[in-house]
Amino acid sequence: MKAKRMLKLFAVLFAMTLTAAACGSGDSTSTTTSECGSDLAVAAGESVTDLSVALVAPSAKDDVAFTQSMVDSLTRLGIEPQITDGTFVVEEAAAAIRGYAEDGIDIIVAHGTQYGGSLAEIAPDFPETSFIWGTSADNQGIANVFAYYPEADQGGYVNGLIAASIAGADGIGVVGPVEAGDAVAYIEGFTLGAEAGGSSTSIVYTGSFSDVALATTTAEAHAANGVAVLTGTSQSAVGAVNVATANDLPWFGTQSNTEAWSSDLTVASQVYHWDVVLADMIEKIEGGTLGGEAMALTLENGGLVMEFNGCYDLDSSVKSDAEAAIEDIIAGEIATK
Amino acid sequence: MEHAPLLTMRNITKTFPGVLANDDVSFDVHAGEVHTLLGENGAGKSTLMKILFGLYQPDSGEIRLRGEVASITSPTSAIEQRVGMVHQHFMLVPTLTVAENVALGLPSNRGFRTDLDAVSERIVEISEQYGLSVDPSIEIWKLSVGERQRVEIIKALYRDAELLVLDEPTAVLTPQEVDDLFVILRQMTANGTGIIFISHKLHEVLELSDRITVLRNGKVTGDTTPSETNRQQLAEMMVGREVKLAPDKPHVDLGLARLQLRDVSVKGDRGTIAVDGVSLDVHAGEIVGIAGVSGNGQRELAETIAGLRPAESGSSVTIDDADLTKAGPARTRAAGLAYVPEERMKDGAVGEFEVSENLLLINHGDPKFRRGPLFDFAKIREHCQRLVDQFSVKTPSLDTPTSSLSGGNIQKLIMARELDSRPSVILAAQPTRGVDIGAAEYIHSELIEQRNVGVAILMISEDLDEVLGLADRIAVMFEGRIVTVIDREAATREALGLAMAGG
Amino acid sequence: MSQFFTVSVLVATLATAIKFAVPYLLAALGETIGQRSGVLNLGVDGIMLLGAFGGYYTVIQTGSHLQGILVGLGIGLAIGIVYAYVTVFLHAQQGISGIGIFLFGLGFSDLLFQELVGTPKPIRPLPTLDKLPGVGGIFEPLVDIDIVGPLLFDHNLMTYMAFLLVPATTWLLMKTTFGMNVRAVGENPQAADSLGVSVAKTRLIAILIGSSLAGIAGATLSLQLAIFQHNLTNGIGFIAVALVYFGAWRPRWVMAGALLYGLVTATRIRWQSLDIIPQGASDIAAMAPAIITILALVLLASRVRGPAALTRPFSRH
Repeated sequence: MKAKRMLKLFAVLFAMTLTAAACGSGDSTSTTTSECGSDLAVAAGESVTDLSVALVAPSAKDDVAFTQSMVDSLTRLGIEPQITDGTFVVEEAAAAIRGYAEDGIDIIVAHGTQYGGSLAEIAPDFPETSFIWGTSADNQGIANVFAYYPEADQGGYVNGLIAASIAGADGIGVVGPVEAGDAVAYIEGFTLGAEAGGSSTSIVYTGSFSDVALATTTAEAHAANGVAVLTGTSQSAVGAVNVATANDLPWFGTQSNTEAWSSDLTVASQVYHWDVVLADMIEKIEGGTLGGEAMALTLENGGLVMEFNGCYDLDSSVKSDAEAAIEDIIAGEIATK
Repeated sequence: MEHAPLLTMRNITKTFPGVLANDDVSFDVHAGEVHTLLGENGAGKSTLMKILFGLYQPDSGEIRLRGEVASITSPTSAIEQRVGMVHQHFMLVPTLTVAENVALGLPSNRGFRTDLDAVSERIVEISEQYGLSVDPSIEIWKLSVGERQRVEIIKALYRDAELLVLDEPTAVLTPQEVDDLFVILRQMTANGTGIIFISHKLHEVLELSDRITVLRNGKVTGDTTPSETNRQQLAEMMVGREVKLAPDKPHVDLGLARLQLRDVSVKGDRGTIAVDGVSLDVHAGEIVGIAGVSGNGQRELAETIAGLRPAESGSSVTIDDADLTKAGPARTRAAGLAYVPEERMKDGAVGEFEVSENLLLINHGDPKFRRGPLFDFAKIREHCQRLVDQFSVKTPSLDTPTSSLSGGNIQKLIMARELDSRPSVILAAQPTRGVDIGAAEYIHSELIEQRNVGVAILMISEDLDEVLGLADRIAVMFEGRIVTVIDREAATREALGLAMAGG
Repeated sequence: MSQFFTVSVLVATLATAIKFAVPYLLAALGETIGQRSGVLNLGVDGIMLLGAFGGYYTVIQTGSHLQGILVGLGIGLAIGIVYAYVTVFLHAQQGISGIGIFLFGLGFSDLLFQELVGTPKPIRPLPTLDKLPGVGGIFEPLVDIDIVGPLLFDHNLMTYMAFLLVPATTWLLMKTTFGMNVRAVGENPQAADSLGVSVAKTRLIAILIGSSLAGIAGATLSLQLAIFQHNLTNGIGFIAVALVYFGAWRPRWVMAGALLYGLVTATRIRWQSLDIIPQGASDIAAMAPAIITILALVLLASRVRGPAALTRPFSRH
C-alpha cells in the first residue's frame, strides 16, 4: 500500500519535472496563453494520494474566483474532495470542519482566512488530522496546521505593468472588496506595476467580498471617471466585469481566470495554482508531518500563473516586457511590495 | 292594533363552560323608546347584546325584528338588519378621518375608488338632523371622547340603524357631554329609533329610560319604569339584597394637614406638562375628592404623590411634614402613604401571582415574616388569611392566581394590603371603577372608617356620584390645574360638571 | 476635490443613486403596503433572492427580460401565499416566520443556482431606454441632452416603474376602498371587523402585493446586475424593511430614504474613486450610507407612530 503510494507520487513528480524540462527553463511555467474560444474546464490529474480530503470554503464552488480556484487545484491533483461551500458564516464553517474531523477525514482544507480562529480551537482536538488553511502567512504555531498564501502582489505587478501599457494617462480603476488579505497584496502589487508602466490607479474598497451591486456601482464610477482599464478581486468582482463588458474596457483578473465572464476583454489573469503547495503539503503529510509551516504561492514555484487570453490581441512587445518582468520578479530584481 | 315591537328577544338562554350567562331572558324594544338594561358586571348584559349583534349564537330562544324571526349570524348581518351598536370601547380607527371611519366596510358608489365626498355630504345631513356636529374630514385621534362617541352614533345612523345599542355610553363623558348625548338620543327616539341603553349610573338610567330591565346572574330580576321605581330599589334589584347607596358619614373634627402639595408640576408621558402648579392640603379625618374627566392630569398627579413619577423643580410633596418630593416609592410608603392605583391589574397587583403573594407585595421584607434568611410560610399564611377574612376577599384559596378573581375582589385585596400598613395618608385612584355594587359599598365604608380614625384620604374619581357620596371637600381638575375646591355641602352636580369642562 | 464638483460628475452620481435605489424602493413600497395592514415581513430579502434567481434563470433560458420580471413576480406571489397562510390564518408570530422565509430563500436560491446554473454567467442586462429593441432610437437624442439626459432618460424601464409606483402606492392606500381597509386593519382590526371588513382577506391581499413587489425587486436586481450568485441581495431586503420604518410608512418618505441611501452610497464610492476619502477610511466609509440614512429619517420621521396593530395577529375572541 505504502509502496504504491510512493510510486504514484514519484510518477507525478517525474511528470512535473519532465514538463518543466520540456518547456525550457525557469519562467515559462509562470505564463500560459489560452487558445481563443477553448474550453477552460480543468482536467482531472492523476491522483496523488489515497488520503481522504474535505474542503470547506466560503463562496460557491464554481464562483470563478476564490473557491473555484481551490476546487480546480484539487482536481488537478486528482483529488475529489467532499465539499461544504457557501459558508460565509464562520460558525457554519466551524461546524463543518469539526464534522469532517469527527468523520475521520485525513486532510481538511479550510479555505478562508476567517476560519483561523475556529481552527485554533478545533485542530488541537484532532491531532491525527491534518488541516490545511489559508490564506495566511502564519500557521498559528499549531503542529497539525499547514498554512498557505499567495504572493498575490507578484501577479498584481505583472497585471499592472500590462494594464499601464493599455491605459496610459487615462488611469486604471480598481474594484477592491475588503481592505485585507491577498486583495490588498494584489492591489498594491498592481499599483506598483501600473506606476512602473507610467500609469496610475484609482482604488475603491467596497467593504464587502460578496456585494455585487456595490462592485457594479464602483466599476461604473470608475468608468464615469474615464479610466481605460478595470481590474478587481473577490467573488463580487463579477459585477465589475459586467461593467467592463458594457463599457468596452479591458479587464485584468486575479485568483481565477475570468475569461468565462468576459472572453473578449479579459487581457490576463493571475491564477492561483494551490496545487503546487498542496502537493508539497500532501507529501509531508504522507511522510507523517501533519503541519507546522506556511507555504507561499509564487511565480517562481508555479503557484502563481499568468494566463493570457488568446482572444485579446495584446501587443507582442508588451507581452515580452511582461515576461521579462516575471523573470525579474523571480530573480528578486523587482520589488512587488 | 299595536305594532309589533322593533325587537323581541324571547327566552334566550346561553351557557359557557361552567357559566349560565343568560337564563331564559326575554326582552323587547319598541320603536321610539329607550329601554335600559341594568345589571352588575357579569349579570349577562353584554352576552345578551353580543347575541343581538351576532357575535354569539344563543343555545335556545328566538330573536324577532319587526315581528319577523331574525337570524343574526355576524356583526355584518346585524348591521344589514338595521341593528347598530356603540361599543363601550369605541370601534374607531384613530388614524382615519371621520368620513373614512363611517365609510369603512360599505361599498363605494365609485367601485374601487372611495367616495368620501359623497359620504361627507351625507354625514353633514345626519349631523344637522340630530345636532351631532362633527367635521367629516378630521382624523379621529384629534377628537375628544364625546366627539368620538358622536362619530360612533353617526356610523350607526349612516347605516340606517333602527335599533341602536349603547354600551355604557356615559362612562367616559363629562356631565355636560352626557346632557348633550341625552338630547341627541331623545331626538333619535322622536324619529322612531329604538334604543337599548346599558348603564350602571342609576340617576342617568332614571332620567333617560322609558323602561328598565334589570339582570342579575343571567336572569331578569326586574322590569319597571322610572316612575315606578327609585335608585335604592334599582340597586337592590341589581345586587339582590339591601344596599346602602349613600354611606353614613359621622362628623369628624379636622386634624392637621397630613398630605401637603405645593406648586406641584409634572410632565406627562409625552414630555408636556400634565400637572400644572397644583397646591392642595388633605387633613386628618377628611376625604378630599378630585373630580374631573380622565386625562386631565389625575393619573400623573397620583403617580407623583406615590413617588413613581418625578415632579418638576419647585414642586413640593410632604406627608406629616416629611419632604417626599424626590423620594421614590419605598420612602414614600415608609412615610405613611397607602396607594390604591387606578390601573389595578397593571400597577396594583401582579396578575400571575397568587393571592398571598400579592398581599405580601409591599412588605415581604418585613422581619416578622422571616425565619433566618428564609420566609416563615406559616406566619405568612396566617397573616394573609387574616387579611382575606377581614376584608372579605372572595377567593377559593390563598394560592389562587390573582388574575382569576373578579375586579371587586382584586380591589378588596389591594385595599387589604394597603390599609393593613396603618397609613397616615391614603391615595385612592378610581377605587370602585368596574367594581360591583356590593364591593363598592364595602370599599366606600372602609374608606370612611379610615377617615373616621384620622387618616387623610385623597380620592381621585371620574364618578361624580362617588365623589359626592364620599368626599368632604371636592377639587376639580381640568387641564392639569385644580380649577376649584368646593365643600361638599356647597357642591352641586351642575357646578361640578361645569368646572370639569373648564367652565 | 474640484473634480467632484463638476456638473457631469454630480449628474453621474445622482444618476447612479437613482439606479442603485430601484431594488430598495420596489421592495420597500411592497413592504409598506404589508405593514400598513399590520403584517411585518422580515422575509423580504429571501423573497428577493428567489425572485432574483428566478428572473436570472428565466433570462438565461428565454432571453426575455419581461418574462424574467414576471417570473420574479410569480415567485413573490407564491411565497406570499405561504407567508399569509402562516401569519394570517395560523396566527404565527410574524418576526420568526419572516426570518424563516428569509433563510429558506437564501438557501433555496443558492441550491437552485448550484443545480441549474453552476458557474455564474453574465446575461444581457436590462436595457436602458436608448437600447430598447425597436424604439431605442427615439430615446437616443434624449439621453444625450446635458444633465437631464443622464438623470431622467438613461435608465431601464424598471426604474420608471419603481418611481411611478410611489404615487401609485399612495393612491392605493389613500384613495381606494382597499387602501382604506388596509389602513383600518393595520390600526384597529377589531373596528374594521365590526363593520364587516374581512381582516384576513385584506391582510392576505396586502401581503401578496408586498411579496410580489419583493419578487420583482429581486428580479430587477439580478437583471440590472446581469448576474446571480449566492446571497446576491446582500441584505437589501432587510434595509428595505428598515426604510419602511424610518420612512414612517409613507411611500414618499420611503422613496426619500431609498434615494438618500443610494445617494450616500454613490457619493461614497465616487469620493473614494477620486481619492477624496483616503484608502484607510474605507471601512468607516462603507458604513456611512446606513448611518446617514437612518439619522436623517429618524430626525424627519421619529414623531410618526406606526400602524398600531403591526405584528399583531387578529382573531375575534
